[in-house]
Amino acid sequence: MDTTLLLEPFRVPYLTRALIELTILGVLCGTVGAFVALRRLEFVADALTHTVFPGVAIGFALQGADGVFEGALIAAGITACVLTLLTRNRRTSDDAALAIVLTAMFSIGVIVVSRSHSYAADLQTFLFGQILYTSRTQIVETAVVAVLCLAVLAALGRELFLRSFDVEAARAAGHRVGALDLALNLVIALTVVAAVRTIGTALVLALLVVPAAIGRTLGGRLGTIVTIGVGSAVLCGYFGLIISYTASIDHDVALPTGPTVVLTLVAAYLLALVAAGLVRRRGLRASAHAPAAGMPAPSGLPRPTGSPR
Amino acid sequence: MTWFDTYTHRAYAEAGLVGLLAGVVGVQVVLRKLAFHAMAMTHATFPGVVLASILGLDIYLGGAAVGVVLSLAVVGLTRRPGRTASGATGVILAAGFALGAALVAAGPAGDRKLSAFLVGSIVTVDTHDLVVTAGTAAVILLVLGLCAKELTFAAFDHEGMRAAGHPVTALDLLLLLIVQAVIVVLTPAVGIMLTMALLVAPAATARLWTDSLARTTVLAGALGIGSASAGLEISRHYDVAAGATIALVAGAVFVLSLLLSPRHGLLARLVERRPATGPSTGAIG
Repeated sequence: MDTTLLLEPFRVPYLTRALIELTILGVLCGTVGAFVALRRLEFVADALTHTVFPGVAIGFALQGADGVFEGALIAAGITACVLTLLTRNRRTSDDAALAIVLTAMFSIGVIVVSRSHSYAADLQTFLFGQILYTSRTQIVETAVVAVLCLAVLAALGRELFLRSFDVEAARAAGHRVGALDLALNLVIALTVVAAVRTIGTALVLALLVVPAAIGRTLGGRLGTIVTIGVGSAVLCGYFGLIISYTASIDHDVALPTGPTVVLTLVAAYLLALVAAGLVRRRGLRASAHAPAAGMPAPSGLPRPTGSPR
Repeated sequence: MTWFDTYTHRAYAEAGLVGLLAGVVGVQVVLRKLAFHAMAMTHATFPGVVLASILGLDIYLGGAAVGVVLSLAVVGLTRRPGRTASGATGVILAAGFALGAALVAAGPAGDRKLSAFLVGSIVTVDTHDLVVTAGTAAVILLVLGLCAKELTFAAFDHEGMRAAGHPVTALDLLLLLIVQAVIVVLTPAVGIMLTMALLVAPAATARLWTDSLARTTVLAGALGIGSASAGLEISRHYDVAAGATIALVAGAVFVLSLLLSPRHGLLARLVERRPATGPSTGAIG
């Protein structure tokens, strides 16, 4: 790729808007994703991406494109509360309850969409978003949601951090664990809402999970994970946009932007894995025992930060 | 002219078969807390199915090939130190989905195709689908029956089983492969996004009603068949998406059971609420 191509997004208006949107989302998702990874909330995040979907579908059915954001917002608020409550039930384990809520809510969305004439096209739009159609209003909406989420994380960061490592200590220190969980779930839900029209509900999860996984592979501290996560999300958003643009314009391959960004992120993750593996091979071999496959989800604490590698 | 020549008959037969299969295997998924893993597998199978469809191969073969590789990868990856399983699972899920979506867009398949992969289309199953489903169901139920004791042991005391000298890893792999096979078989009928509903909801519902594993399995199978057929019936009556209606019925049965079940239901718990539930209850209010 020559340099003119790298500058292309700054000349074509709709690419510029897409790039701004992707950058905001990268900063937001990279940060929120670090907390998702710390708390091992990947499945909750996945559930939230699916439960926002019926809100999008109903909003669209009632008010057209303008209703999407409001619908998503309402669905996100409700399901964040429901999920927080559900994950406290002992008998039905977390993940079974999550899977059921997730599929049931998603089904409602599909049923609503299936009543419309443009069923298949609508479904695809809601799931994968239309980043190249990003409007100024959408950028503003995304920015507002991002600032809100980042403010909450900045305000509650220490408590959330303590809670993810030691529930009992957090409780003893007088923090309301239930409220903290709800706050984090709401932040995740809002992130999904922010990304819903551009990346689509199905691909938001990748932005939440993969950058944080890259950060976790390369660094140990929360600050490092956030920095690497945000950096990789923004960079991969930029490169994914350029790759999909080049493929579509110059090579006539219809590569949709959203999936391309995600695949770029996944490639970066694989690179990070290889890099970390090389470093580890040179250094001392960690002999810690990992849980075997297929066992009940580990209930222990996350890996302590700053541990020797 | 046989009974299977009508597409509605084929759809009902398929619904019954996938309901039974998913219900029974779902008990293992719920017991071993494999829901998130299964979710990731459904998404990761997606590109395999799409690729097979683009290349004109049998989509069951494509899905199965990707599934075997993935199951091996998961067993291999999660045994390495220092990596959280849920993080890796999340990455696999996201990557699989994005790859599938990109392939659909780049390939000759249109919008219709994509929605069929995502939410299934049970009314278009043909005799080939039925035969594959029935054959897979027979094999899987047989294997589950033969390994019932070992699987139960592993579900409740994994470390104990390893200590007792059983080949735990092989058994884990077998279970992952079974789950994978169910996912591949269910995809044409209910789609990758909704397979989870049939896999988890009937089993989780059955667990609310009984503590015996044998009875849970039978009940889950019956609930699976019931949800799938009832969902299909309702969807035909109101002309809405079949896969989604099936998933919704399965979810609704679970929610009802959550309210009404005699021992674990919310109503029953409200009646005999013990103050000893402790500090967690006060935290949210």
